[in-house]
Amino acid sequence: MSAERILVVDDEPQIQRFLRPALLAAGYEVMEAANGAQALKAAVTAAPDIVILDLGLPDMDGKDVVANIRAWSQVPIIILSARDRESEKIAALDLGADDYIEKPFGIGELTARIRAALRHRIQMAGSQAQLTADGLSIDMVKRVVTRDGAALRLTPKEYDLLVMLAHHAGRVVTHRTLLTSVWGAAHGEDLHYLRVFIGQLRAKIERDPGNPKIVRTEPGVGYRFVGDED
Amino acid sequence: MPDNDRDLKSRPDPDALLALAEQGRRGKLTVFLGAAPGVGKTYAMLTRARRLKEEGGDIVIGLVETHGRSETAALLEGLEVLPRRQVLHNGRTLHEFDLDAALARRPRVILVDELAHTNFGESRHPKRYQDIEELVDAGIDVWTALNIQHLESLSDVVAQIAGVPVRERVPDTVLNRADDVLLVDLPPAELIERLKEGKVYLPDSAKRAADRFFRLGNLTALRELALRRTADRVDDQMVDYLRQNAIEGPWGAAERLLVCIGPDSLSEKVVRTASRLASGLNADWLVVSVERADGEAESGAAMRQLDETFRLAEQLGAETRRIIGNDFVEEILKLARREHATQIVIGTRRHRFPLRLLRRSLPDALAAQAAGIAIHLVTDGSAPAAKPAARRRSTLPEGWGRGVAIAAGAAAAATALGLLIEQFVVLQNISLLFLLAVLVSATYAGYVAAIAAALISVLAYNFCFIEPVGTFTVAEPHEVFALFVFLAAAILAGGLASRVREQAKTARRRAAATQALYDFSRKLSGTANAEDVLWAAVTQIQATLRRNAALLLPEDGDVRLMAAWPPDTELGLTDTMAARWAFEKKEAAGNGTGTLPNSPFQFRPLMSPHGVVGVFGFLQGDKPLEINEERALAAILDQTAIAVDRARLSREILDQAAQLEGEKFLAALLSSISHDLRTPLATITGAVTSLRQLGERMPEESRDDLLKSIEEESGRLTRFVANLLDMTRIEAGTVNAKRDWVDVADVVHSAVERARKYFPGRVFETSIAPDLPLIRGDSVLLGQVIFNLLDNANRFGGDEPVSVYGRREEDEIVLSVTDLGKGIAAADLDHVFDKFFRKGKPDGRSLGTGLGLSISKGFVEAMDGRIKAESPAMKRRGTRISMRFPAAEAAIVEKERG
Repeated sequence: MSAERILVVDDEPQIQRFLRPALLAAGYEVMEAANGAQALKAAVTAAPDIVILDLGLPDMDGKDVVANIRAWSQVPIIILSARDRESEKIAALDLGADDYIEKPFGIGELTARIRAALRHRIQMAGSQAQLTADGLSIDMVKRVVTRDGAALRLTPKEYDLLVMLAHHAGRVVTHRTLLTSVWGAAHGEDLHYLRVFIGQLRAKIERDPGNPKIVRTEPGVGYRFVGDED
Repeated sequence: MPDNDRDLKSRPDPDALLALAEQGRRGKLTVFLGAAPGVGKTYAMLTRARRLKEEGGDIVIGLVETHGRSETAALLEGLEVLPRRQVLHNGRTLHEFDLDAALARRPRVILVDELAHTNFGESRHPKRYQDIEELVDAGIDVWTALNIQHLESLSDVVAQIAGVPVRERVPDTVLNRADDVLLVDLPPAELIERLKEGKVYLPDSAKRAADRFFRLGNLTALRELALRRTADRVDDQMVDYLRQNAIEGPWGAAERLLVCIGPDSLSEKVVRTASRLASGLNADWLVVSVERADGEAESGAAMRQLDETFRLAEQLGAETRRIIGNDFVEEILKLARREHATQIVIGTRRHRFPLRLLRRSLPDALAAQAAGIAIHLVTDGSAPAAKPAARRRSTLPEGWGRGVAIAAGAAAAATALGLLIEQFVVLQNISLLFLLAVLVSATYAGYVAAIAAALISVLAYNFCFIEPVGTFTVAEPHEVFALFVFLAAAILAGGLASRVREQAKTARRRAAATQALYDFSRKLSGTANAEDVLWAAVTQIQATLRRNAALLLPEDGDVRLMAAWPPDTELGLTDTMAARWAFEKKEAAGNGTGTLPNSPFQFRPLMSPHGVVGVFGFLQGDKPLEINEERALAAILDQTAIAVDRARLSREILDQAAQLEGEKFLAALLSSISHDLRTPLATITGAVTSLRQLGERMPEESRDDLLKSIEEESGRLTRFVANLLDMTRIEAGTVNAKRDWVDVADVVHSAVERARKYFPGRVFETSIAPDLPLIRGDSVLLGQVIFNLLDNANRFGGDEPVSVYGRREEDEIVLSVTDLGKGIAAADLDHVFDKFFRKGKPDGRSLGTGLGLSISKGFVEAMDGRIKAESPAMKRRGTRISMRFPAAEAAIVEKERG
């Protein structure tokens, strides 16, 4: 299998300057784009396996780049963002970005996110029927969830929530995405539902619900399922 | 359905409940009502006060006149008595009730005797009942005493009964609003007995009248009035009670009186009668006057009388309205139907015989058309229409002498012209010439002139043209007839012409007033600034009323004089108090009103739809405003209030916008600082983690480059932090530039060296004049400035070299840094030295900190230099930043010379 191609979109030359050698060393092929127009062009012509996208671009809004790519491609997109641009980050995730990472970040974290996103792409191709995390096992064919071999009784909503998170294992799922997919389009803003059901779910699946290992909170953004492979 | 109906009816009337709730917020007013002095009101009040005190109630004696009687004085013992206020009046010291002390003491109940009293000298209110109203408004219960004769609506009846005019009057509304009325009754015979025993105090001045007043018949009549009045109140209270408790009542359909008045002496009587009628019927009453639309102008005196009558009606509790229309009867009936009036009250005078035949009286006309409405006629008590002629004369337009002169002149001219024409042709209709004279007089000088011209013309025509010429005798009988016809025609035509003239005059006046108002509103609409609005308003008012005017606006909880005409107008303490009153109570105060009438100004609240926005004051002087002035003023004040309101709103919006702008700026600032800090940090973190985790797998040159990038970004961070610190120092004013001798060339060269190290790819050229004089300054700060400018030039300079020039221009050293980049847009040139200004995107990505130039400016100015930006610098591109410092040697030379 040839090396996966990563498109890095960032207008800061300093960022490109360290990402390129680091990603090369991690075994990826690296393409660079310094603005939105270049990014879109590269996304079409070079067919990258994954896109790393800074939201602040000189020529266009990073969210528009996400929307544009999502219109025709399911290539995983990881957002590079800053803490003070939280709302943009969430909007980009809602528009179809797969994950985000906040600046400044260590290269280890970035490569882990890249791996999770790439794995998801493979899973989408041949959907995974079985998933494990910290002693928890989800059998999506039989619709059975067990913890250390003992079957757990989940309500239908709790199960839907868990499966939705597990499908995106390793990546963040925004509140809105969870709410609209589990409760329906009319409930996109009903954050309190989510708080209650995540609490219930954690009480059943986590070893220590006060310090959750499987369903992690991404403050202000959403939740992330951390499986054994992540 | 019937059940529903009952349901609705048995529910308490919300208005009644609301009235009850509002009563809760005010103090309670208790009036001890008596038929005459001496019935024992004060005694009754004090006895009750003692009882309340014994029960532990908080009661204070605000004012009680014991008139030196020991019985009453004994009752005062043990009660708290407020000290009185000393007032100087006509050289005598008088003791008045101290309202402010009472408000400050704030007892539960206060006792203030003699409701009808008129305050002397400098008091806030001219009347004691107004003091008491203020106490009640402040939530204090008040007990007071009143004799029935002082009630406004009864004053004419009392004057008739007792034959003594009543000077001190209390509006009926005061008694109507009282929460409790206690009748203090004493049979008249007993009262007369007490009087004889000397137990009734009467002022000296009244002693003579007392014998006439204290007669059995009088006292019995007054007693009846007092009893009836109290009974009416009890009746009202019962009706109120029934309504509040939703008891199916015996009250009938509400009666509503429409009372027609005009500018005449009878109207006052009409109003008083209507007031009694209304209270007897328990009816609402509306007092109305109809003014002719074609402006048959009434004299000022008549209008003032009308105003007075309206004021009286309001005091007696009527609603008032002035309407304009040509057909009196139609307007009245229209209003009556709209207001659902059930009865009309109107005054009527019996005309003298011939007029009675000619004119159908107004009441007759009303009666003919007012189907279903009862009409009350109030007749004049005096002899039937005694003096219409005198009234006519009294309303003669001013300057009638001039009118007669014009008439005489016109008639003389007509005579002369007639005689002249007769020399040449024989005129059959010479009388037409005289008719012309009459018309001319009427048109230019009005009705009086027209009549005068007609009379003079008849005489002159007769004298000069009718046989026998030269005498006033008339030979031919048909000529006599012709003369009379002429006279009648002349008077009629003159009347018509003068009427046209009056109408034209009225129309012109109205047009002028409308024009003035229009100009004013246009002036106002052009200004959004409160100050301009106020100035426009005071000058307009001054121009319209020809009186001094002042406008006050609220500020920090008080009202402050904002504009006045003449501009140096100052308000005294009383004026300010009156203005404050007008603002707080939303009612007129000061001269001509019931509150603080000692102020020469009258103040009125400026009411906008959002409430009171300010106070307007004008010099009232001796003559109150006339009705058309009132109207003009009301219109101006309305417009002013709205304009002030608008100015206030637009200022608020601006403030909000400024605040929003400030918040936006702050957000942009934080975002840019965090960006400037984050990018190097992200690079460093990324490079370090990459080296640690993946370093082994990287080629040698990549590792080197990563290390180099860490070094560079650390430098960038250091510079940024240093810049922030410098900026903070400038902001805090703690930049202490040293005053050393500085060699500019040295500083430039070392800064350029440093820049070459930081920005290795860039070509820097320097060109410094060889024998440049020293400057006084701080070489470290100057070095920092030049480095900042080089940093900027490097960032924006494209690929072209950056050059530094230094030369002398007269007594100044000029230093400049020039790049050949894109340059700065003309619009931005003014802002380049602003803090956190940067070109490009608002979040300022990769465009620098936005601090460099602003810091440079701060440093240069700390060294007495100037800095400026030019763009394009040369070849239509690039930016040049140049600084000028005074050459130190030149300065020294000048010092030595001086």
